[in-house]
Amino acid sequence: MSLRAWLWNPIVAKEYRSRMRTMRSPVALTAYILAIGGLGWAVFSTMAADASLGGGAGNYGRNLFVVLILFQMILLTFITPALTSTAISGERERQTIDLLFCTRVPPFAILWGKLLASMSFVILLLVVSIPIFSLVFLFGGIEADQLATAFLVTAVSALALGSVGICCSTLVRRTTMATVTAYGASFLLVFATLAWGLIFPTRVDPATLSQTPAPPAIVYAGPLLGLSWIAGQGAPVSWLDAVSGGQFGVRYGGGSDQPIPMAKAALAAPRGLPAPAISTLFARSGIAQPAGPKIPSGAFAGWQYWQATVALEAALALLALALSAAVLPPVRRYPWRRRGAPAGVAVDDAHA
Amino acid sequence: MIAVERLTKRYGTMVALDRVTFEVPRGEVFGFVGPNGAGKTTTMRILAALLEPTDGRAFVDGVDVDAHPDLVHQRLGYMPDFFGVYDQLTASEYLDFYAACYRLPRARRQTTVGELLELVGLSDRRNQPVDTLSRGLKQRLCLARALVHDPAVLLLDEPASGLDPRARVEMREILRELQRMGKTIVISSHILPELTELCSMIGIIDQGRMRATGPVKEVVARLSSARRVRIHVLGKRDEALQALRAMPEVQHADEVDGELSVAYDGDERAAASVLQRLVTAGVSVSSFTISDGGLEGAFLHATSEDPA
Repeated sequence: MSLRAWLWNPIVAKEYRSRMRTMRSPVALTAYILAIGGLGWAVFSTMAADASLGGGAGNYGRNLFVVLILFQMILLTFITPALTSTAISGERERQTIDLLFCTRVPPFAILWGKLLASMSFVILLLVVSIPIFSLVFLFGGIEADQLATAFLVTAVSALALGSVGICCSTLVRRTTMATVTAYGASFLLVFATLAWGLIFPTRVDPATLSQTPAPPAIVYAGPLLGLSWIAGQGAPVSWLDAVSGGQFGVRYGGGSDQPIPMAKAALAAPRGLPAPAISTLFARSGIAQPAGPKIPSGAFAGWQYWQATVALEAALALLALALSAAVLPPVRRYPWRRRGAPAGVAVDDAHA
Repeated sequence: MIAVERLTKRYGTMVALDRVTFEVPRGEVFGFVGPNGAGKTTTMRILAALLEPTDGRAFVDGVDVDAHPDLVHQRLGYMPDFFGVYDQLTASEYLDFYAACYRLPRARRQTTVGELLELVGLSDRRNQPVDTLSRGLKQRLCLARALVHDPAVLLLDEPASGLDPRARVEMREILRELQRMGKTIVISSHILPELTELCSMIGIIDQGRMRATGPVKEVVARLSSARRVRIHVLGKRDEALQALRAMPEVQHADEVDGELSVAYDGDERAAASVLQRLVTAGVSVSSFTISDGGLEGAFLHATSEDPA
């Protein structure tokens, strides 16, 4: 099967056609724009009314961006499972899945087609939100590279949520249960990972440290921390510090309660996995790579927070798709379960 | 064309299919008969490579179903006992979608869809949404779907189930047309008279075991336990009954609704012998009709046996 056939199969075309014929899609698009636009307007109005919140136009822009990008991610956490959790279980309930298995579309292409169609709608939501986000540039404080990175993190996170939704839809036979499971998994990925850093932070004694330690690695798997760091760009993320009481995900003990400054962490020589080549892509595209804080220690030492998030969520998406592809076929032909069919014999003349 | 060899399917301790064996030559219409839960759908799903057998082999057009499901899907059209239609698609879009799934080139798809809609009599409803079609029309559309890739073999699981008499007749006519086109067809059905008219071969399955298989006439003849003959005589009925009861091949003779109903052992020669001796005894016979009970009788006889 050619790459083109893999990427664009009849399932995608059918899903587009079906999805766009209902009133649900335009209503969802409108509601999405209204929600983001309405929140942006409310935040700006609040900042404009209260001089103590703003300061300069740059602060206005940064605050607006943080709120909007996190709100967009939370909205997608609610929308994406709804788009994907019915993908396979719905086919089962409509009793059309067997008909698809009888065609020449391989099971993985069915999964891919469903995912691509759902993700296209998510991309459409992201695209229609760009004009609202571009208003942030009126105030300054946010660069184009930050916006691009934040959208990249959001898109990859949505892909992970979509893949997990497809996986739930494949594993759980009934649509209602598949949807509940997909929402549970999505909330775990987005919110519980962040909460993990609050509940089980890295405990350190600052007296024995030469650099700031990293929060627990599981925290990077969720998108909220990465998005916050992108918006903060080197400055402490105030809302996270406010809820965690200091450096997020790190609890200091021993003789001192003074957090080690981030600058010290950035100067320290990191040791861990090689930093990803995303910087090369940024360089080639002419956009400066966002110079956010780097993870000071652990497996992802030297990576920026959002890079670790993108890597982990892409890995999760692949894992979820691989599991779905292994489970979906009606007859699972694992090598260790072969029944001793005559290898290489396609046609038996005696039965032709 | 289709060969099934000792096909067995177990779910835990429950045996759904027990060493089922049968063959369907090319161009034949094979009726698959059995009560609910007998194993018809299980056999069909294995033939369609949608279910893995516990043991045994199945071949479609010479291709081992278990080893080469992709090749089987190219040769086989499967119509399950449910509709399986999508909302939001018209009849022609529905067929076009499946034609694309079978990788028919775009240019050929339009022609194929038009021809199939014509075949199943839905040309005037090509732009009607699928979910607004009646049950009979949906069933016809599903049959068209099973034909989009021009398969040599058709597996039709209860194609006439739930249809009104008119829709049933229309479906039967379409199947006859497919038979003329040389398709090898396997039909499972509960409606026995229809199978008798349509099928050239038959298989009777019960509790996962194939009770009988072969040409319809042979199976009916084999499974008719005691043949019956209805005799109309002019007067002298009591004498005729006495003469019949004295014959060694006659098991039972009685008067029913003004006719003599006689059960006897043996083949058609035995029937001729009965008639000859009756005439010799001076009985005026005005009609003499052999009744073998038909497919229904064969089915009831086959499925009433002790499975052990």
